[in-house]
Amino acid sequence: MNPTLVAVVLAIGAGAVVAVSTRDGAAAAIGLAVSLIASALLAEPLPPAGVLGVRVVAALLVATLIRSAMRTGPRQPSPLGWPSEAFLATAGAVAGLGIAVGLAAVAAAGGVPVGPGVGEPGAGGPIDGGSVALTSMAFTTAAGTSLFTLGLAAFIHGQPGARRAIGLVLVTQAVLLFRIGIAGPALELEEIARAALLVVAGATGAALARAAATSRPARVGDDEDSDTEAAPAGVGRREVVPR
Amino acid sequence: MTLLILAAVALAAGLATILLAGERRTIALAIGLAGSLVVLALALAMPDTDSVSIGGVGMVSTPVVRAMAVAWSAGLAVLGLLELAVGGRPTVVGPSLIGLAVAGLALATRDPASSMAALAAGGVAGVVVPGLAGWLDGPDLPSRLPTTHRGALAILGSGLLGLAVIAWGASAAGPLGGGTFNVEPAGEIGLGLSLLVIVSAVAIRTGLIPLHVWAARFMEGVSPLAIPAAFAWGSAAFVLVALDWSQVALGPAAAGDAERLVIVFVAMVSVVLGGLAAMVHDDVEHVLGYSILQDAGIAVLAFASLNPDVVAAARNWLVASATVKTALAAWASVVRTTYGGHRLDDLGGWGRHSPVLGAAFAGILVAAIGLPGMALFDARVDLVSGAMPGFGQVVALVIAAMPAIYLGRIALAGLAPVSVAVAEGPTGRPRWTGGRAVGWSEGPVTQAIRAIPTELRANRAPLMALGVLALAVMALLTATGGAGG
Repeated sequence: MNPTLVAVVLAIGAGAVVAVSTRDGAAAAIGLAVSLIASALLAEPLPPAGVLGVRVVAALLVATLIRSAMRTGPRQPSPLGWPSEAFLATAGAVAGLGIAVGLAAVAAAGGVPVGPGVGEPGAGGPIDGGSVALTSMAFTTAAGTSLFTLGLAAFIHGQPGARRAIGLVLVTQAVLLFRIGIAGPALELEEIARAALLVVAGATGAALARAAATSRPARVGDDEDSDTEAAPAGVGRREVVPR
Repeated sequence: MTLLILAAVALAAGLATILLAGERRTIALAIGLAGSLVVLALALAMPDTDSVSIGGVGMVSTPVVRAMAVAWSAGLAVLGLLELAVGGRPTVVGPSLIGLAVAGLALATRDPASSMAALAAGGVAGVVVPGLAGWLDGPDLPSRLPTTHRGALAILGSGLLGLAVIAWGASAAGPLGGGTFNVEPAGEIGLGLSLLVIVSAVAIRTGLIPLHVWAARFMEGVSPLAIPAAFAWGSAAFVLVALDWSQVALGPAAAGDAERLVIVFVAMVSVVLGGLAAMVHDDVEHVLGYSILQDAGIAVLAFASLNPDVVAAARNWLVASATVKTALAAWASVVRTTYGGHRLDDLGGWGRHSPVLGAAFAGILVAAIGLPGMALFDARVDLVSGAMPGFGQVVALVIAAMPAIYLGRIALAGLAPVSVAVAEGPTGRPRWTGGRAVGWSEGPVTQAIRAIPTELRANRAPLMALGVLALAVMALLTATGGAGG
């Protein structure tokens, strides 16, 4: 087990949890950027510099688009809170590891390697399905399923706005990670198409969030939509300056 | 190589058109039109077979790619001119150019994951741009945002679903994973399930019943000119990529009895209910929308057998039906712009009032139904017969009768006595106003040149009808010759 990969997966999950949980738009955008950039780095060995550049530029562009949409819309923090979101992400990651181990076992039964890091044969022996190493592809699958659970919850629950946009981006990134996790590294042309898809998902989410913010009057009393935030019991609601 | 240049020009022109559309309408339309014409020229110059390797992936332009590029870009050039005449913020040419670029690349690419990702990315603009900036009844209509939201989700979601199932196919558990894929018994179930998943992605993308609600709202909310890019052509490219992958990765063995039954049921629900809905609705946008949905249902029947002959028929069907529906969309838009109405009750005598528009509609009617020997007709028969051996030919004839009824109703309305709304609209007959520019009194040639804008404005309705006629002729040609599938 590579500790660097573990750290990268943790960064992906932590960034995504911050992105869907926080009230602060800037923190959400930073969390999203951390999650997406860490996703770009989740590979062993690292892809060529050109591919890495495409991935990182796409990640930063998406974070910028989402941040720009947050300036006009209402704040939409997670109704569950960050601990629950973190548990959700962990559960998703565990499910992803299960899928990866299952696939590696299938590959081991077939007697073939399925990609870098998974099901690697031991020294001088055939692949042992029972001792599949938790390496690059398994971690990629785990990160993908983790982002999928977080993103789907954010996308489905709540009103149109920045939270849905973040959810859409996370679900897209999840499928892209899942694709690499179970089928191996992408070719260079596919990397460009994947980056384009991620940017389009971000741009679409941002455009819809902006349209929702400008076309719909805020409803006071609705945490998801209003220009007021929930405050601790007894304190009442405090006015929030739209940003 | 020509395809790459075509895609680059289309992407650049499409993006520029979208970005400039809000502030500089004329410049945006000029860029869009110029881009469309350059793309059409490149499509015509494209060789039938051409290959190049980009980023480790081979790209091969085939006759189907060429036929689609030519038909789509030619239709797009006419739609661009019609958009210029119709007025309003341009929301048609830009997304269509982007859709055309990614569709061409996706169909030529030999890597299905790249194709699917590109189609998902490129198809969203066709829904989001008209949805956010081109809603006909104003931006405050409550259905606008939810419909656009669901549409964007459908386009992206279908692409992501397709990407996931393609990844499964290349994984250790899939047939292309390089392992010893065991077809029986677990592998057989896996193949069948993945076939159903890719068909689900196609159903979401094309808006098959019961996933059609957003599509129906979208089609009644935006300009009919925006519909071909979002549905007819975008869906056609998606179905073609999904079909190619299914053939290579899954093969005919994936379509067992149970899978075939499910696919035929899903497809026939849309074919029958879509056809019936087109028959009972009185507004032309719904007729257009449900007829596109019916066409998609027929195409989905190809997944029920994955037979190479049936897949070839599907290629012909998809390109020909998309061309026909582009012409029908143009007709619907011109009728709405010219007469202000879009319900049959308001359109009595439209054909008498505008004979050119009537002739164009007659061509569309023939192309949509088809005649034995025409590629579109034969493709429909092959698709239905392939999915339902034994009685497929009878069913195909019944299906062919549906457009005869729902388009026939519109044709009959055109032959009825001219209604008040139609009589008040601009005449569809060409006329020479004889006007010349004020204060201009030099030679006759200069006067004639100066008079062109005036005459163009005075003949806007017949010129738009001529555009529809051009599309109808193209629809007839494509319905006759097919796509070289």
